[in-house]
Amino acid sequence: MLKKVLVIVMCLSLLVGVFAACGDKAEEPGEVAGVIKIGVAAPITGNFAEYGKGFDVATQMAADKINAAGGINGKTLELVVMDSKGDAKEATDIARKFTEDSEIIGVVGDFSSTCCMATAPIYTEAKMVQLSPTASHPDYAGMSEYMFGVMGRQDAEGPFVAQYLAAKYLGAEKLAIIYLNNDWGVSAQSNIVKGADEIGLDIVALENFVDGEKDFTATLTKIRQTNPDTICLVMFYNEVSIIAKQIAQMGWDDVQICALGPGTSEQIIELGGADVEGIATSTPFYVTESDPVAWAFKTEFESKAGFTLNVHSACAYDAVMMMAKAIENLGDNASREAIAGELASMKDFVGITGPIIFTADGDVFRKYKIAQIEDGQWVQKTDYDYAD
Amino acid sequence: MYLLEQLINGICQGSIYALMAIGYAVIYGVVGLVTFTYGEIIMMGSFSAFYYFILFGDNLFFALIAGFITAAVVGIVVHKVCYQRFLDAPRYISLICTIGMSMFLKNFATIVFGSEMKGMPAFFAGKFIEIGTIRVGYMQLLIIGVVIALSLVLTIYLKKTRMGMKLRAVSQDKKAAALVGINVKTTTLIGNCIGCGLGGVAGILLGVYYNSVLPTMGGMAGLKAFSSMVLGGLGSISGAAIGGVLIGVVENLGIALTSSGLRDVFAFLLLVLVLVIRPQGLFGKKGN
Repeated sequence: MLKKVLVIVMCLSLLVGVFAACGDKAEEPGEVAGVIKIGVAAPITGNFAEYGKGFDVATQMAADKINAAGGINGKTLELVVMDSKGDAKEATDIARKFTEDSEIIGVVGDFSSTCCMATAPIYTEAKMVQLSPTASHPDYAGMSEYMFGVMGRQDAEGPFVAQYLAAKYLGAEKLAIIYLNNDWGVSAQSNIVKGADEIGLDIVALENFVDGEKDFTATLTKIRQTNPDTICLVMFYNEVSIIAKQIAQMGWDDVQICALGPGTSEQIIELGGADVEGIATSTPFYVTESDPVAWAFKTEFESKAGFTLNVHSACAYDAVMMMAKAIENLGDNASREAIAGELASMKDFVGITGPIIFTADGDVFRKYKIAQIEDGQWVQKTDYDYAD
Repeated sequence: MYLLEQLINGICQGSIYALMAIGYAVIYGVVGLVTFTYGEIIMMGSFSAFYYFILFGDNLFFALIAGFITAAVVGIVVHKVCYQRFLDAPRYISLICTIGMSMFLKNFATIVFGSEMKGMPAFFAGKFIEIGTIRVGYMQLLIIGVVIALSLVLTIYLKKTRMGMKLRAVSQDKKAAALVGINVKTTTLIGNCIGCGLGGVAGILLGVYYNSVLPTMGGMAGLKAFSSMVLGGLGSISGAAIGGVLIGVVENLGIALTSSGLRDVFAFLLLVLVLVIRPQGLFGKKGN
């Protein structure tokens, strides 16, 4: 009896799957004019899920706003969102799907430099724009004329972190660095070291780890031997909170922590609790109430997403807005190839995160603010003029 | 002095590996098969503690008990699904079934618990004993203590009780055990539960020590448990424990000398080296 029930349930679930798949096909508008499709690749699950979910919500907000205002030249903007899990292998699969789908005209994504650089050749071959909200590896945007990034570059943020966040703001004299060993982490770390060398800031320890590491006790014990007054964490929210907790667990209380990478991530506070108090980070974008447009965006984002706005999501919003504007400017000439030229020559775009004008490579030089965790909340500590 | 501190870090981490490996060895003994579900059992134990802390407050002792029970219950399910029906079938069927079960549990956990990392409460944060310049955290001492205590209880159970004797008999020879009147099915089930329960406790220690739980944490944990057991010698419980501690120590000393990125290189290099020189493992008997 039980067996029979099981078999029936399994058959039913198979059938549901088949119908669901058919349903997808039937709903596709095919070659119907009046729809413009943009692909969105984001790590909605996995180690960078907070950023991926932010991408999902922010890009949809951008699409809703565009459609509410009449769409792009009268056509409805539709997003095709796919989950890359922060994995370069998944990201390349998605890139193939996007490039093979002739209806998709451009792509916003992915989150990590590693994923973006892995997919760059595929998009380039298809002459399709990959407009990454967050990839900041200095080599990424220069890989081809179809690669763009709106977040800023590591060779601007790295020196800022060394010279202003660590040395000037935290008063560091002996800096230890722990970095995530991937394309982005290595580049960010080398730029911090370069910036530190310029002002004679002493780097006493330089340690790396591979993604997925959970036990930093040995690394921290090793670093404590070198007696740094500040540790700089080049990684994302999961590891930042784990390291902060393990530092507290060790009873190591005479060290300051700063971070490059996580932005003003809410998850750090959620995971780290009291142990992450005082962590300072650099961010190209931080909303205060004095900017009503950005504040309204922040409020709407937070009600939809259920967590606090971070810079990555704001960049994702701007990326969709920017691509939509490029398509609108092109009018009937909009094609995969034409978007690249239009983006490169666009000089008048102002997004939530400020004006975005691409360099010859296709990325942006940004200025940075410093934010710090105080009483379980991110607080902006310095403005853009801190580095002037 | 500095290396001594790293040695203690290694022993602490190694003792968690040791507990996982002991559980694995018990399962391997009674079932007579390698299991691929073990990592996921460790993960389930860890998550049960995570939810215990949310529901009933931060009591580590009861959480450990809850984790043991949860993991043992999952062990019963694994036994019913993967072993019991295939006792007379070719062995690889059970083996492949455990692979399927592992995938199922991982994805089940991802759907039910969510894919994002979750934080564990910190115990004894910032408390440590200082001997000279060496610092040993309370948490580290607690972990080592729990592992030693559980190993002792298990040894006494296996050596001194009637049930333990049955377990050892089944491990040595299932047919002969059946001939002298031991219920092999029940004994295998109980052995599997104990092994899984120990894995669950190890999962909690892992979660608390790393301050995090994650549905995918089982993969590497299961691999380390398996490696520790193989290193010590298949089926040898004390060997598994020593294998676990050894892997932990080598990993941490390796990190101390080079970098954290090379952690698994050291762990598995040790395994390969030992197996090349002594294929039966450090404490295994020849011909096993």
